[in-house]
Amino acid sequence: MNLKRDFNTMTWVLIPLAIAINIAIGQIVYSLKIPVVVAYLDSIGTVLVGVLAGPWAGALTGLLSNLIWGLTGLNVTYAPFAAVAAVIGLLAGLFAEAGWFQKLWKVIVGGLITGLVAAVISAPIAAYVFGGVTGGGTDILVAAFRQMGLDVLGASMAQGVASDPLDKAITFFIVWLIVRALPGRFLARFPRAENVQ
Amino acid sequence: MPDQVSLYAPGNSGLHHLHPLTKLSLAGFALLAGLTLPGRWGTYLLVALFVLPLAAWGGLAGRLGNAVWRIVLPFAVSVFVIQGLFWTGGTPVLQLGPLSVKAEGISFAIASTGRILTVVTAFLLLILSTRPDALMIALTERGLPPTITYIVLATIQIVPRFQARAQTIMDAQQSRGLRLEGSLIQRGRALIPLVVPLVLGSIVDVEQRAMALEARGFSRPGPKTSYLQLVDSQWQSILRAALIVLSVLAVVGRLALLIIP
Amino acid sequence: MIELENVNYRYPASQQPALADITLQIKAGEFVAVVGANGAGKSTLLYALAGFVPHFYGGDFDGRLRVLGHDVAADGPASVVGQVGLVFQDPFNQISGARFTVREEIAFGLENLNVARAQMDERIDRALALAGLEGLGDRSPFALSGGQQQRLALASIVVMEPELLVLDEPTSQLDPVGTRQVFEALDRLTGERGTTIVIAEHKLEWVAAFADRVVVLDDGRIVEDAPPDQALVADETTRPGLGQTRYTRAGRLARQRGLIPADRPLPVTLSQAIEYFS
Repeated sequence: MNLKRDFNTMTWVLIPLAIAINIAIGQIVYSLKIPVVVAYLDSIGTVLVGVLAGPWAGALTGLLSNLIWGLTGLNVTYAPFAAVAAVIGLLAGLFAEAGWFQKLWKVIVGGLITGLVAAVISAPIAAYVFGGVTGGGTDILVAAFRQMGLDVLGASMAQGVASDPLDKAITFFIVWLIVRALPGRFLARFPRAENVQ
Repeated sequence: MPDQVSLYAPGNSGLHHLHPLTKLSLAGFALLAGLTLPGRWGTYLLVALFVLPLAAWGGLAGRLGNAVWRIVLPFAVSVFVIQGLFWTGGTPVLQLGPLSVKAEGISFAIASTGRILTVVTAFLLLILSTRPDALMIALTERGLPPTITYIVLATIQIVPRFQARAQTIMDAQQSRGLRLEGSLIQRGRALIPLVVPLVLGSIVDVEQRAMALEARGFSRPGPKTSYLQLVDSQWQSILRAALIVLSVLAVVGRLALLIIP
Repeated sequence: MIELENVNYRYPASQQPALADITLQIKAGEFVAVVGANGAGKSTLLYALAGFVPHFYGGDFDGRLRVLGHDVAADGPASVVGQVGLVFQDPFNQISGARFTVREEIAFGLENLNVARAQMDERIDRALALAGLEGLGDRSPFALSGGQQQRLALASIVVMEPELLVLDEPTSQLDPVGTRQVFEALDRLTGERGTTIVIAEHKLEWVAAFADRVVVLDDGRIVEDAPPDQALVADETTRPGLGQTRYTRAGRLARQRGLIPADRPLPVTLSQAIEYFS
């Protein structure tokens, strides 16, 4: 693992763009009124950096993305989940390193696994800081799980597991489409071009 | 289009003139103290007696109140309703048809809302009173790599442009017949012609931007100077140290309470 | 100042060489224009001078290249930061985005060069003056017009006081007023500071008016290296895609129609055209 190689100037320029992608697409998804049960799509940029520049660049993107979401006031409630976003970027980079972005079915599975891990890590944060609710549509799920007898943490985790894997699978899929559409000579400029070729 | 996306509300108050790290320490302390205080009402007291007066000092109490209302209300409603009504095995105190409001649920909701309130107000106190670039410079002076500063500041200036570009693409695709209503599947498929051009169109810029940065010494090793200068003072330095100590004590104290039965 | 000897370069995954057997010397203080059809290798040559080819792009490079004594092909752009400045066409991509005012944006390069704070204001003022941006110092870079942004990009490089300034079609997105402002700024640079300028351009009238020397590229080779009067009078058959200044075109037309004797040298600039047609 060569950190210096992963963090060249192309990576440093890519990261702000990736975070802006996260934010802009998150807004589009919201305005399209896609129920949050299906997709947030707030990590496309993070996953993209993980694929193109490696796990640590992906992790940094996720971390800063959520902190910036908080710092700019666009969505302060994202800030406590910065570590989760970092893990998403990290996993995306690791899957890419393992060649999982070269076959579609592996892309989907990678996304599902990443979503699962994200849900499990988010649950304690959501439970402790936010009382186990999201303030949005998925709280219906939380209510249902609570009614079934799950405790606060359990219901939070169940809500996450019901929605996150699909969101991340779609995210991984979209990133796969994007990197396949990039010209090879351009991809070659990124530290982890081999992940996609 | 705004030049940057930030909630910074300029002002001339004492709070505004504090060194960014002092404000960061104040917010950080409020955050940690809020999250580690035992009991349900500690957080509310902290917000009322510590965060609000600071905000008022900065002339920001109104803005803070508005933002808090907007952000915290959905959570508060959700947590009271869901944890109040669906608390497993709780003591009912009020019957609402087939459902009942449980005392433990309400108690939990009060504590929860207090914590959300603390996190949000602490963050808002910081970002309303601090220029983003001032904060980043302060952190860079203390060792944060300038590359991170670049990322944060470039992002907040790029986001408005990006959102405008996204809107343009949405309008263009709609005029080409892309339908944005309809079933979930239809709306989901509508995403691809929006998302992919947005990303591809901006990625091609990366190469030139990287070269432009290189040409200006971005990755030159060694120390860097700063054009913007920050004003600090002795008492702020002492205050920051005290806040850090208090924060550590709060966390340690709370952990101790958890471990010691 | 600049020496190329038998330089060949091919981009990765490319069959054709982008630069073929380039031999060229440029002395300090010269104002050299690089012209040619699209794809002739202008940008590649410029990137090589700034150290980005092959360092940034990969590919196969051979031959001798020395810029200000540095082997930039081997050492990359880092070896000449602050000594060689590079300006591109798209102003938006050259604004770092990490600074909130024009002054701070210009200061970015100085910060990276570890220039003392006390020296910054004066240098920034001079850069603002040179680029014609006085009074705009406190504006946001994003509140400027396209032409102003391009001049900001120029100022941000010029403040670093490079000995060599390399520009890749810096006026292509600008209107005539913006173009004139850029060329006048470059003229001030050579005049006041003796900066060497190498500029790739399509706008031949400006090249003719400001350049000391024109290097014509075709398919990666140098096909002409001469003052504008000589280099720019070639016609379409010998130099397809190069184009000609409107004065040359008019002069050629007049010559073909027998209105002007064939032995009178074709004009390249306005003042020459005035003489030609009188």
